[in-house]
Amino acid sequence: MDITTPTRRRFVATCAAVLAAAIVRPAAALAEQAQKSPHPTPRAGITGAKVLTAAQLTRTPELIPLFDAVREAPEIADGIRCNCGCGESQKLYSLLSCYEGDAMARACTICQGQGRLATRLHKLGRSLDEIRAAIDAKYA
Amino acid sequence: MSGRTHVPRAVLVTACTLSLLSSPAAAQIRASELGTVSQVIDGTKITVQYSRPRARGRSPLFGTKIVHWDEVWTPGANWATTLEVSKPVTIEGHSVPQGKYSVWMVVRQSGDWTMVLDPKVKIFHMDPPDSNATQVRFPVKAVTGPLTEVLTWSMPELRASGGTLAMDWGTTHVPMKLDVEPSLRVTMDAADAQPYLGRYEYSEKQGARTKVSTFIVLYDKGTLKGEWEPEDKYMGRFALIRIAPDWFVPGLYDKNGEIYEVLRPDMVMEFTRVDGKAVSLVVRNEDDGVDATAKRKP
Repeated sequence: MDITTPTRRRFVATCAAVLAAAIVRPAAALAEQAQKSPHPTPRAGITGAKVLTAAQLTRTPELIPLFDAVREAPEIADGIRCNCGCGESQKLYSLLSCYEGDAMARACTICQGQGRLATRLHKLGRSLDEIRAAIDAKYA
Repeated sequence: MSGRTHVPRAVLVTACTLSLLSSPAAAQIRASELGTVSQVIDGTKITVQYSRPRARGRSPLFGTKIVHWDEVWTPGANWATTLEVSKPVTIEGHSVPQGKYSVWMVVRQSGDWTMVLDPKVKIFHMDPPDSNATQVRFPVKAVTGPLTEVLTWSMPELRASGGTLAMDWGTTHVPMKLDVEPSLRVTMDAADAQPYLGRYEYSEKQGARTKVSTFIVLYDKGTLKGEWEPEDKYMGRFALIRIAPDWFVPGLYDKNGEIYEVLRPDMVMEFTRVDGKAVSLVVRNEDDGVDATAKRKP
């Protein structure tokens, strides 16, 4: 503990308070991010039109069947929270977003695994809630 | 009216000062620099934020004008040290609900010290809180250890279900056993385990070839466990931890019989039952690809 005069002590306290406020806020935000958010609600009228096509996957042709499967079940993929962290860091809406645009699923095995699991269970006739439960069991 | 709002000069000055102080450009050397230590254990985040006084040749530190015996002292400096836990934990066996606390210690010349966690966090070190019902209080042991120049909070030892939270300053070492709420249940009722028990012919892809071995599922000390024959030296005998009705993940044991790693989502074993009894399993990796399959041996 530092021995200081009351005046200096108060000044140091003020500085510490300001610094703490600057540091605590991001820390608190990160802690909130660490808590998993609920699964998103599939957006009305959502389609798989933005999911990358074979022509856009020439460097990773082995992923074409997976992207095709996700494109065919957009209402499922759009109701699943991605557990790789991209939802928080890149503000992606759902697992479907990982297969669109820059398509994180081209490189991320967690995105790929969730897509494969979701579409596999969908083809087996499982409901969205059952698929969410399976995703949570394995990845959350 | 010009539409301008009059802002008192004092407010402007304060705002400018705070803005400068909170920017990286406003670097300032402090006797007790601000520090943070954070650790995640099984999904529970533990964070200690504190100002870090140096010993600066002052010895001893406790029982002097620096920290008096019987003082309610924040183990830090300036604003009280804080401890934040994202989920409930126990420290030295005492329940600490999720939340943020200011941290205090009643330092004693002999006998146990008392750890005090107060839900009021914004407290200057010169204003320790009185004892009150909202606090979590428990005894801790202060022991002598190697010299630590700068007051340090750390978690020097980790387990799957917790670790040691420690405060060191000078030659004083205060270790505290911290446990988190486990996210997975390792034990299982014998009746629940029964359908899975047995020997399976296990086929594992290894490049172009397939390796065949025997996978054995057994019940041991209240836990469903697996092992291979011939033995897999890395995995050894491991816990099969249920994550869904017929899905299990391996929990690997260290030499002390403590689980140190759970292979989720890397290795999920999905059993298929016929007439209630497991007859086969598929092992899937994190991208949901199939790494191995197995069929129950007759």
